[in-house]
Amino acid sequence: MSSYYLINLLVYAAVDAMACLGLSQQFGVGGVTNFGFIIFQAAGGYMAAILALPDASANGGFQSYIGGLNLPFPVPWIGAAVAGGALALPFTFLVGRRLRGDFAAVGLLVTAVLLNLLVTNYRPLLNGDAGLSLIPQPLQGEFDPTSSSYQWIFTAGAIVCCALVYLLVSRITNSPYGRSLRAMRDNDTVADSLGKNLLAMRTTMLVTGGAIAGLSGGILVSYITTWSPAAWGYAETVVLFAAVIIGGAGNHLGAVLGAVLVPVGFEEVTRYIPTSNSLPPNLIPSLEWVAIGLLIVIFLWVRPQGILPERRRVIREAGTGLADTAPAAAAAVPVPAGPPPPESVTAAARPEGQRGSPDPQGPRSGEVVLRAVEVTREFGGVCAVAGVSFEVRHGTVTGLIGPNGAGKSTLLAMLAGTLPVSAGQISYLDQDVTGLPAYRRARLGLIRTFQLASEFKRLTVLENLLSAVPVNGGDSMRGALAGPRYWRGDEQAAIARARTLLKRFGLDELANSYAGDLSGGQRRLVEIMRALMAEPQMLLLDEPMAGVHPNLARRIGGELMSLAAEGLTVLMVEHELAIMDEFCDPVIAMAEGAVLAQGTMADLRGRAEVVEAYLVG
Amino acid sequence: MTIFLASLGFGLVTASVLAIAAVGFTLQFGVTDVLNLAYGAVMIAAAFIAYVVNQAGVSIWVGLVVAVAAGALGSVLLNAGVYTPFQRRGASPITMVIVSLGMTLIIEFGTQAIAGGTSVSYSMGQGPAVSADGLVLSTVQLVVIGLSVVVMAGTHVLLRYTRLGKAMRATAANKNLARNCGIRTARVITLTWAITGALCGLAGVVFAMDAGSFDATSTDLFLILILAATFLGGPGQAYGAMLGALVIGLATEISAAYITPSYKYVIAFVALLAMLGIRPSGLLGERAG
Repeated sequence: MSSYYLINLLVYAAVDAMACLGLSQQFGVGGVTNFGFIIFQAAGGYMAAILALPDASANGGFQSYIGGLNLPFPVPWIGAAVAGGALALPFTFLVGRRLRGDFAAVGLLVTAVLLNLLVTNYRPLLNGDAGLSLIPQPLQGEFDPTSSSYQWIFTAGAIVCCALVYLLVSRITNSPYGRSLRAMRDNDTVADSLGKNLLAMRTTMLVTGGAIAGLSGGILVSYITTWSPAAWGYAETVVLFAAVIIGGAGNHLGAVLGAVLVPVGFEEVTRYIPTSNSLPPNLIPSLEWVAIGLLIVIFLWVRPQGILPERRRVIREAGTGLADTAPAAAAAVPVPAGPPPPESVTAAARPEGQRGSPDPQGPRSGEVVLRAVEVTREFGGVCAVAGVSFEVRHGTVTGLIGPNGAGKSTLLAMLAGTLPVSAGQISYLDQDVTGLPAYRRARLGLIRTFQLASEFKRLTVLENLLSAVPVNGGDSMRGALAGPRYWRGDEQAAIARARTLLKRFGLDELANSYAGDLSGGQRRLVEIMRALMAEPQMLLLDEPMAGVHPNLARRIGGELMSLAAEGLTVLMVEHELAIMDEFCDPVIAMAEGAVLAQGTMADLRGRAEVVEAYLVG
Repeated sequence: MTIFLASLGFGLVTASVLAIAAVGFTLQFGVTDVLNLAYGAVMIAAAFIAYVVNQAGVSIWVGLVVAVAAGALGSVLLNAGVYTPFQRRGASPITMVIVSLGMTLIIEFGTQAIAGGTSVSYSMGQGPAVSADGLVLSTVQLVVIGLSVVVMAGTHVLLRYTRLGKAMRATAANKNLARNCGIRTARVITLTWAITGALCGLAGVVFAMDAGSFDATSTDLFLILILAATFLGGPGQAYGAMLGALVIGLATEISAAYITPSYKYVIAFVALLAMLGIRPSGLLGERAG
């Protein structure tokens, strides 16, 4: 094997691995399906080229391009990363909450096809179809790029860049921010309702992945010294997706493995296929594409988690392992003092340093926390909620009953901001929140749960709980980059709180199991605990006891009562009237989108219209 | 004025081809909930099947009928063999799109492996040209427009007046509810794949006729027009797709006459991204919640 062959192989492996790591972070961890991924690599390639190339009039002006700044290494590589990241910004409008992920993916795919078409046809910009060539290699004025030592140093440089990218994405993924990203990937609506800013997180993922792709393009271009539209057809993105899916989406080592197996592997295997004149000229490349398509479909069917699945993040009991480093970290970072006493779930749910309370005193008992005025929601022509007005007072557990289709869940969704209102006004803690998105309301302490199972399936039970913690230094890109030393204190405090809750609800044995593997009743508990971890001022619970054993339901009710006594406000939809009798006062009865009556459960049983609409069915 | 009328003629033909393709695509998505990106690949595969029949010395119009049947059969098999098993396993919409992208590669490049990479053309006469004031259309182009009108009318009758059409609409609106109301949704979905697959096959052949010469990758860009027409009218909306096809077809060809033809897809692209960003439910769809 010649050293040229080995160098070539290693550089391509490093470049492909880098691109796959970017995609793994974006798609595998963040759940952002970017079918236009290759254009970010292309942007990096072109940027590196036009930064390094001399003016277009050089070499007899045989190629035309913009730029031509003749800048020295490492400016082209830095520019490549910046170009890849900046290219992501125009696409942020595709990844907000409004657009389905598959539609956004289609938008990006179409963009990739079109940009390729434009660059191919418009020559003045980047020399069109022929592409750019004679791109200067790094420091080629000082050293001889054809020498073996230069090439080995270049190879080492590419591998070091790849290793740095690996460390970067691992640091992001293993931080609390990475956990929030995975939560968003598993269920974006729920992540939104827990205070995660989906648009900001997805934009960050697009930019991060784009910058990594851009850097990979820059390195590739300065190695092969040419770059043309043929190198970045839309189907190249599919190759990278195949690599990440086969290697294991969400596992960064898997991404590296996938890069070696698919893009590099295919290139190498076809090298050994004997060329024969009896074969049609396009047969082998065509069959390669067919094989990549087959690999994707077969892998998604047989082993959707990939060769190296995303690893389960086990967090051991405090006192072993991780906790050893906690005191040092805690000294550096201000954290709520110590873990709360384990016997008190209320203390666990409401630590000191309450967030979202506009007034340190908080609302006093009996004051109105949440007020709905003429709130209306129409679907097509159907009026699901028709002008509902009511108030929920501080420290109460207010019940909401009504037959199926009365509009209870729709109302709850509007109160939490999951659904916009068609008309009407919602105010919370004397603030008009009608136009506030769900995540902003959640950050004010208004937290909802869902009627249908809404756990983050591929997060463990403990991670589900931790994902809701509102104050964690590591739950931002900046915090994640600052590293574990920066956020470990917050994390330890949150783990201690979560453990207390888990013990209280008898799920501590399952702390490190995937939430998706639990029974229906256990998942309800996880959801309630997760809502409590979010440090709510007010909870909106949608049938929290459905599918839960009656004894446990009673226990949940008891916990809610004691939390209410300490100042939590609860609005709860429930069909089990015994629960309403025992724990809820007052109770609001709804039917056909309107409030029928409000009072104690005993009152309601005495009202003819309520009995007729609901109690006798 | 002559340029405008000539491009109007091209636009009408493109819009006709596009309408057939987009109505099939949008119904497929609306009823079956699969955003089948392999639609373009099935189109071109069907066009090649017609080509094989045509090469055997048979009229291309017979080839067209064979391609329609092949499109229907192929789509039913694609659904039964690939999409339904994934859906039954609870695959997310995004996984389905990735699967359909994989199927695109398999079908498109499978066609290329068999057919070779060169462009081919049907052997057919264009018939006498009909002209009115600079608007010149060949007989074949008129037939394509006529076919499209028949398909649109047929779609209207199907959706409005037949039991199957009503069942399709019910399934599209709410599959579980439709099943609970006694509609055999599995059969409705299979029939939908057959009907939309037939439209896909038809679209493939008329696309190839309109293009003159074609190869296995010719529909890559046409898929963008289909997506633009679909999203302009609102995904799943048959009438929206008809309107979208008319707008996109005319806009691309007329803009091509005044700018350079290589940029004619840009207008479709801008329309598509604008719809995705501003109003993903389409012009005729209800406002996004």
